[in-house]
Amino acid sequence: MAHRFLARRIWTLSVNELRCLPSSTATVASSSFSTSLHSVPNRASFLAPSRSPAVSHASLRRVSFNVQDNEDFTERVINSDLPVLVDFHAQWCGPCKILGPRLEKAVAKKKGRVAMAKVDIDDHTDLAIEYGVSAVPTVIAMRGGDVVDRFVGIKDDDQLDSFVSKVIGQ
Amino acid sequence: MPPIENDTGKNELKTQIQQLIDSNQVMVFSKSYCPYCVQVKDLFKELKIECNVMELDLMENGTNYQEMLLEMTGQRTVPQVFVNKTHVGGCDKTMQAHKDGSLQQLLSGETQAYDYDLIVIGGGSGGLACSKEAALLGKKVMVLDFVVPTPKGTSWGLGGTCVNVGCIPKKLMHQTALLATAIQDARKFGWEFDESVKHNWETMKTAVNNYIGSLNWGYRVSLRDKKVEYVNAYAEFVEPHKIKATNKRGKETFYTAARFVLATGERPRYLGIPGDKEYCITSDDLFSLPYCPGKTLVIGASYVALECGGFLAGLGLDVTVMVRSILLRGFDQDMANRAGEHMETHGVKFIRKFVPIKIEELEAGSPGRLKVTAKSTETDEIIEGEYNTVLIAVGRNACTDKIGLDKAGVRVNPKNGKIPVNDEEQTNVPHIYAIGDILEGKWELTPVAIQAGKLLARRLYGGSAVKCDYINVPTTVFTPLEYGACGLSEEKATELYGQENIEVYHSLFWPLEFTVPNRDNNRCYAKIICNKLDNDRVIGFHYLGPNAGEVTQGFGAAMKCGATKEQLDTTIGIHPTCAEVFTTLDVTKRSGGDITQSGC
Repeated sequence: MAHRFLARRIWTLSVNELRCLPSSTATVASSSFSTSLHSVPNRASFLAPSRSPAVSHASLRRVSFNVQDNEDFTERVINSDLPVLVDFHAQWCGPCKILGPRLEKAVAKKKGRVAMAKVDIDDHTDLAIEYGVSAVPTVIAMRGGDVVDRFVGIKDDDQLDSFVSKVIGQ
Repeated sequence: MPPIENDTGKNELKTQIQQLIDSNQVMVFSKSYCPYCVQVKDLFKELKIECNVMELDLMENGTNYQEMLLEMTGQRTVPQVFVNKTHVGGCDKTMQAHKDGSLQQLLSGETQAYDYDLIVIGGGSGGLACSKEAALLGKKVMVLDFVVPTPKGTSWGLGGTCVNVGCIPKKLMHQTALLATAIQDARKFGWEFDESVKHNWETMKTAVNNYIGSLNWGYRVSLRDKKVEYVNAYAEFVEPHKIKATNKRGKETFYTAARFVLATGERPRYLGIPGDKEYCITSDDLFSLPYCPGKTLVIGASYVALECGGFLAGLGLDVTVMVRSILLRGFDQDMANRAGEHMETHGVKFIRKFVPIKIEELEAGSPGRLKVTAKSTETDEIIEGEYNTVLIAVGRNACTDKIGLDKAGVRVNPKNGKIPVNDEEQTNVPHIYAIGDILEGKWELTPVAIQAGKLLARRLYGGSAVKCDYINVPTTVFTPLEYGACGLSEEKATELYGQENIEVYHSLFWPLEFTVPNRDNNRCYAKIICNKLDNDRVIGFHYLGPNAGEVTQGFGAAMKCGATKEQLDTTIGIHPTCAEVFTTLDVTKRSGGDITQSGC
């Protein structure tokens, strides 16, 4: 009985509700998260049409970079010629661990027309606070130093593809 | 006089009022019949300060003045007091300013602008609550927080002891231990499972610390959202209104404020014996320990000691507790001993009347091996023991010795480092307040600090007069068998009212959930202490059993309402629960009657 209830709850939980909220709701979010850790990727792959050749691991690694400090952020994000997706994430945030690789995959598909920066909000709290991050994962899209778009929580591959396409103006 | 419709008239009036404010040291807009206005005028008379008073009710266009004042200050009512061009407020605000010294400061012309209205030192439960409330009331607030790493190098994020190294991880690890009991019980209830059950310390530690990480971030975000400026730096006074903030890179910055709140909390005390800081850990290290502590010696019998020893034993570890004299000093000793006995029957070893004198490392590692030498408190007997981990939990020291309090003139009790305050959390220095664990003679509990912090901010900036009530505070010790209490211990009640004037009702009970697994019969215990001189009012509530926090909270509310024995007796119990025992207590301790329970 208990198991059935749990399964139903996961099913009705829309994927973009998965995020780590601060404040009291955090408990709810993370408890439902832990049970759905395994089910969500399955469900996503079940829903998403399978994609032609998987991007190789090596190219994935080059897709994103970790922001080192404020200067680095200015140089490689604000002053970037390319549009940049900034993935604000945290070690303790489960959904971030799902979104990160998915976003890298979506960025890799654009073959160098968009960059991706990763910001650990505990290491670079000031940046996260400055950009109004409240819950993680938060992804902001920047072009010419301006924030042009943003979203909070998890998205599936299709949603990410269209988000990235919009950012690069496709 | 009709309201002024045109802007020219309005501007003229505004200029007139501004001129009055600018040209008088003290300007009071008043109404001749208003008792609050009289009070304010009397205050200045008493202070022998000349003040210019405008009685709005005696003027033809008084209402226009009042409308314009509302526009200028946001305050509709009179009196409206201005001192040296600064809007002090109404009667309450003026009296408050007189009391805390800020009025004198305004009068003396020291209107030097401070950087902040309020600086809070310490980002724990109390400090955060106070700073957020003050900001909500429109004040410019800064909070400084800095965690000095433990000798083992452990450090943590924003939120203070409770969130990082106290209540939160403690209760989650206590829950981990309770689950082990549940797994054992489960077989008796028909659950069948083959695999041997093991516990993985690292999984627990990571899960607990991930949750804490999210809380740290949540606190940071709420400070931003409430517009409290946060600085991750160590603060110390250099002048009564000025602090030096040193960040982790050693960079020093100075800030000034009109008022300060000290909320620095406490840190675990060490023993001052060879090897203690080198080889032992404290509760500051335990909850994020990267490895399972193994065979553990807990030194001390504070609630921290018993809670930590309790859950470590619950995880299946070999645990010994070394006690100098008594368990849970300050708590009801009858209850403390029962909680201790329960731990003993569940495998926790107690070494009583011994104190450690030396800790040596036999082998480094994670965990390593330590040799503990201890000495009897009564004889010359010396004993030795070998453990993987030694956890010191012999009390906590207030963090008040290295924050420059001497520079600010704040009085500290030299014996324990605690800060004496009046019933409004004010120190001997009028513009410096203190809340939380560092207060002398007050509770060391998170919800108390939060309440005190919030109410303090409301009194300082919201015109409130509500003080924090430190009486009948409910609390729970999360020993394996939990102990919840509210009000007086039996010892304290006897001391205050005399044995003949109190009646103690008590009972053992057996939770229904324990019957099928057939465990812990007649271990759980309920006790209330009533004041015979006051209608048998309940002045002490004590509960040893499962879910003690949940049970005690509601009875705490009842005691706030002044519940009597009769009212408990006429309360209908919820069956079958543990808490219902308090509605049927009929055996007095004095009578020596049988309190063992059997059946419904």
